[in-house]
Amino acid sequence: MKKFLKMMMSLSLAFALAACGSSTPATSGDSGSTAAQPAAVSGKTVKIGVLVADVSGEEALGFRSYFENYIANNYNAEFTYTEQLTDAAGEKAAIEKFAAQGYDAIISMSDSDRATQLQTSIDNGLYYAVASGMLADEQFEQYKSNEYFVGQVGPSMDAEYEAGYEMGKYFADKGVKKVALYGAFIPNPMHVYRAAGVLAGIGATYGGASEKDAVVGQIFGDQGIDIKKVETGDVELVGYFQGFGDTTFDELFACIGAQPEAFLSVGMATTFFTQNLNDAGIEFSDIDSFTEANGEAMKNGKLVYLAGKYSSSIGPVFAAIMNAVNGTPVRDADGNAISLSQDYLVATDAASFEKYATADKGDTPIFSKDVLDTMIGAVSYDDFATAVAANRG
Amino acid sequence: MNQTMTTNRKIRGALSIPVLTGIILTVLCAVNGKAMIANKTGFNFFVLYTAIVMLTTMALSINLNSGRFDFSLGSIAVLASVLSCRITFALLHGGTGSAVLMLVLNIVIGAAIGLASGMIYVTLRIPPIITSLGVTLVLEGITFTITEGKYVMNEVRNASMSAFAGNWIWSALLIAAVLAFMIWIFDHTEFGYNYAALKSNQKVAVNTGIDEVKNAVICYAICGGLMGIVGFLQAARSTSINGGALNFGSIAIMFTAFLPMFIGCYIGKYCNEKIGFLLAALCMSMLNSTFAAFSNEISAFMQSIINAVLLVVFLIYLSNEDLLKRLLRPSAERG
Amino acid sequence: MDEKKKELQEKNRKQQLLVTLLPFAALILLFVILCIVIQTKGYRLPMYLKIIFNEGVVLAIVATGATFIYTLGSFDISLGASTLFAATMGVMTYNATNSMPAMLGAIFLTAVGCSLLSSVLASVFHIPVFVTTVAMMSVLSAVSAQIITVNGGALGGISIPSAAVAPYDNMAFKITVLVLFFALCLFLFNFTKIGRRQKFLGGNPVCAKLTGIDMNKYAIIAFLIAGTGVAIGAFLTLVYTPSVTTGTAGSIGMNILVAIVFGGMPISGGPRSRIYAAVTGGFSYIILNNILKILIDSNAGYGISQIISAVFFLAVVYVTSMNYRSAYLPR
Repeated sequence: MKKFLKMMMSLSLAFALAACGSSTPATSGDSGSTAAQPAAVSGKTVKIGVLVADVSGEEALGFRSYFENYIANNYNAEFTYTEQLTDAAGEKAAIEKFAAQGYDAIISMSDSDRATQLQTSIDNGLYYAVASGMLADEQFEQYKSNEYFVGQVGPSMDAEYEAGYEMGKYFADKGVKKVALYGAFIPNPMHVYRAAGVLAGIGATYGGASEKDAVVGQIFGDQGIDIKKVETGDVELVGYFQGFGDTTFDELFACIGAQPEAFLSVGMATTFFTQNLNDAGIEFSDIDSFTEANGEAMKNGKLVYLAGKYSSSIGPVFAAIMNAVNGTPVRDADGNAISLSQDYLVATDAASFEKYATADKGDTPIFSKDVLDTMIGAVSYDDFATAVAANRG
Repeated sequence: MNQTMTTNRKIRGALSIPVLTGIILTVLCAVNGKAMIANKTGFNFFVLYTAIVMLTTMALSINLNSGRFDFSLGSIAVLASVLSCRITFALLHGGTGSAVLMLVLNIVIGAAIGLASGMIYVTLRIPPIITSLGVTLVLEGITFTITEGKYVMNEVRNASMSAFAGNWIWSALLIAAVLAFMIWIFDHTEFGYNYAALKSNQKVAVNTGIDEVKNAVICYAICGGLMGIVGFLQAARSTSINGGALNFGSIAIMFTAFLPMFIGCYIGKYCNEKIGFLLAALCMSMLNSTFAAFSNEISAFMQSIINAVLLVVFLIYLSNEDLLKRLLRPSAERG
Repeated sequence: MDEKKKELQEKNRKQQLLVTLLPFAALILLFVILCIVIQTKGYRLPMYLKIIFNEGVVLAIVATGATFIYTLGSFDISLGASTLFAATMGVMTYNATNSMPAMLGAIFLTAVGCSLLSSVLASVFHIPVFVTTVAMMSVLSAVSAQIITVNGGALGGISIPSAAVAPYDNMAFKITVLVLFFALCLFLFNFTKIGRRQKFLGGNPVCAKLTGIDMNKYAIIAFLIAGTGVAIGAFLTLVYTPSVTTGTAGSIGMNILVAIVFGGMPISGGPRSRIYAAVTGGFSYIILNNILKILIDSNAGYGISQIISAVFFLAVVYVTSMNYRSAYLPR
C-alpha cells in the first residue's frame, strides 16, 4: 500500500510539474538533446519525427519506404511516422510528443498550419524541415533566420503551376482541340495552382485574366473552376469537375459524353478514373508520382502524360537535417535556411516512365547514399543546391 | 398501410413525391439547357446509384425502426468488399464471373459480419448505438490493417465488373431481387411478424414468447448482407475501394440514408414500405443526377446544405402534416 | 427470508459502488500504465502529461456540456461541427476587429446560437432533435469549409496572430477553465432542479410531462449549456493552435459519445446520468489511445491500435453497464 501511495505521489508530482512547467526547449531537457552535441560526434542515432497528412497514398508510402528502408539502413538515423494528421492541433501535439520522446528533428509532410509547426519545433528545440509543399512567402521570411528552421526542398507553388502549364501545353502542342479537366481537390492550394497552370498551358484565360496570381485568386474565390468564365483559344475546354463524391461519376460521364480528345487531371486520376477512361478510349494525363498503378496505366492504358514525383526526391531534406543535427547546417550567404524548389519529372510513354521508375528503385534511388554523402558534411549552399538540381533521374 | 384507402388514392399517394420530384428537376434542368441524365452510361449509373441508396436505406431502417442505431453500416460495406474482392481475385484473377463471385461473397461476408455484430449486441446487452461505435472502430481497423490503408484497385478493375456497371439491367435485377426478398421476409414470414411485433411493442412482444434475441441477430445479419451488396455496388461504380478510413471515417454513408428513409416511410403509408424505399431512392438518384448536371453552379458545399435543408423541411412537413392540412383546408369546410 | 433480502441488497449496493467507482478506477489505472510506459521508454513524463491534458481538455469541456443533452435521452452529433464553426467565426471576427472581447463574443454567440437553433427547430416543429443535429452538422461543416477555404487561400486555413492567444496557452489557465466549467455544470446538474428534472425527463418522459415538467424548456436549457461548452471548447482550440482548417475539431463529434459512455453514463440518459462521466471518460479514452500509440508502431499499427482501443471501450462499457441490464434487449 505504502509503495502504491509513494508511486501515486510521484505521479501526482509529475502531473503538477506538467501543470507548472513551460515548454522548455529540448536542449535543456533530460533526454539528451540534440542541438547541443552533434550526433556525428556522439555517434548516437539521429531520431527524426515525420508529420504526415496522408498515410496511405502511394506517393506517401513511397516516401516512407525510402526513409525507413533505404535511409535508415544506410545512415544512423531512425524515422517515426505520425498517425494521419488532420488539423493544426494534431500537428502541434505530434511535435510536442516527439520532443518529449527526445527526438532531434521534424520533417513535415503535413500542411494544416506550417507556422505553428515551426514555432512549436523552435520552442522545443527541434530542427524542422519541409519535405512536401512550401511555406508561404511571408512565413518563410519570418522564420528563415531561425537556427532550428533547416529549410524546405520540394515543389513550390510556382513549380506546381509550371507542372500544370507544361501538361496543358503538351496537349495544345500535340494539336488536341477538345479537352476535359479534373480539378481533383480544389480548393487544395496545390491543385489550384496546377489547374491554373493547365488553363494557361492550353491558352485559356479565366474571368478575363491570364496572369498566374489573378487566375489563382479567382479559383480560390470561386472554390473551383467556373467553366463559363473560361475563354479558350485553340483548345476548347468541354468539361470540368472536381472532388470525389456521389456525383463524381455522373460528372465524369457527362465529360466523356462531350467527347474530349484528352482528359487532363491535376491529381488522382489513375486512382479514380483509369478504367472508365480506358474503356472510353480517351487519353489522359495526371500529376502524381511514379507508382506501379501509374506505370500500368501508361503501359497498358490510356495514360499518356505523367508529371511525377519520385520517392527519393525527399533525400535532400534528410541531408539538410543531418547537417543541422551534426552542427554543420547549410545556410545561404545571409545565414538563412534552405529554400529549393524541385520540379516534376515528366513521362510521356512507357519507356520514359520506366526510365524514371527504374532510376529510383528501392536499392538504387536517385538520391542514393553516394549522392547524399556529397551533400552531408561541410557543404556550401551552392553545392547543396547544385546537387539537388543535378539529380533528377 | 391503410387498408381502407382506395387503390386510386394509394397510387396517387405513392407516386406523388417521385413524380413531383421528377417533374421539378426535369423542368429545372430543361430551363437551364441541361439534361438530368445525359446518355446511356449516365442511365446505367443512375440505376446503380438508385440501388445503392435503396439498399442502404433499407439496411438503416431495419434496425432504426426498432430503435437500434447502427453506425457500422459503412464499415461493413467496405470490409465485406475488400475481403470478397481479394478472395475473388485470388480465385479468378479478374477473369469471367468475377463480378458474380464477388457479389455472392459480398453478401455472405457482409451477412457474417452483421451476424457477428448482432451477436456482440445480444451478448453484451449494451445499447446498440454503443455496440455499433465499437464495431465500427473494429471493422475500420481490420480493413485498414488488411489494405494498409491503400485504395484497392487491381482486384476490382476487370471486364466482369465493367460489364456489371455498364448495363443497368443488372442493377435493376438486383433491386427487384432485394425488394422481393425484403417483402417476403418482413411481410410473409414468422420472422417478419415477430419483427413487426417487437417494433411496435417490445415488452408485450417478448412477454408473448417472441424470441427477441434471435430476431435481433437475424436483423443484423440481413443488414450486413444488404451492406455487403452496397459494398459490391460501390466497388463496381467507383472501380476502387478506399481502405483508409479510420476514426469513424466510414459513417458518412449512413447520414445520406436519412432523407430517403423518411421519404420512404411517408410513401409507405400508401404502399408497401419497401417499395416506398425504392421510390425514395429514385428521388435521391434524380436529385443526385441534377446536382451532377449543375456541378458548375452548385458546389459540393452547397449540395450538403441543400440536402440538409431538404431533410429538415421534409421532417417539418411530416411532423406537422395534420396541422398543415387543417390550416390549408378551406374555411368553409372547417366551419 | 429477510436475511436473504438483506444479503441481496448488500450485494446490489456493492455492485452499484463498484460500477460507480469503475470509471475512476479505469482512469487511474490507465494513468498509472501511461506513466509506467512513458518512464520505461525514457520519455519526459511532465511534458507528455501536459500534451495529453491539452488533447483531452477540449473534449472534456464540450462533452461535459453535452452531458445535459444526453441526460434527456437526446443526442447531438453536430457539436464537433459547431466547435469548428464557432472557432471559424471567432477567427474572422478577430481579423476584422483586432479585438479579443469581440472574438470571444462571436464565439459564444455562434456556439450558443447554433445549439439553440437545433433545439428550437426541434421544439417548434416537433421533429426529432437528432435529425436537426444531423442537418446542422452538414450545414455548419459546409459553411465553415466555405469560409475557411475562400479566406485561407494558398495557406489552406485561417488564423489569428499567435500573440493574441499566447497569454492563455498555459496549463493554469486551462485547468482553471475546466474546473470552473465543471463546477458550474456539477452545481446545475446535482444541486438545482435543472439537473433533477432533466434526469427525470430522460428516465421517464411521459411521467415527467404528466407532472407538469416542460420538456421543451429543459431541452432548450440543455442545448444552451452544451452551446456554452462548445464555445469554451472553440476558444481553447484557438488558444492551443491559433488557426482553423476544415479538419479542426473533426473528431470531437463522435468522441463525445465515446467519452460519455466510457465514463460510465448510460447513453439513454435518465437518473443514472453522471456529470463527471465526460471528464473521466474523455481523459481515459485519450490516455488509452496514447498508450496504444506508444506501444504499437507501424503503418498497419494504426488499424491494430484502433481495434484494441475499440475492444477496450466495449469491455469498459460492458462492465459499467452491469447495473442497468433489463430482461429486454436495450435500445
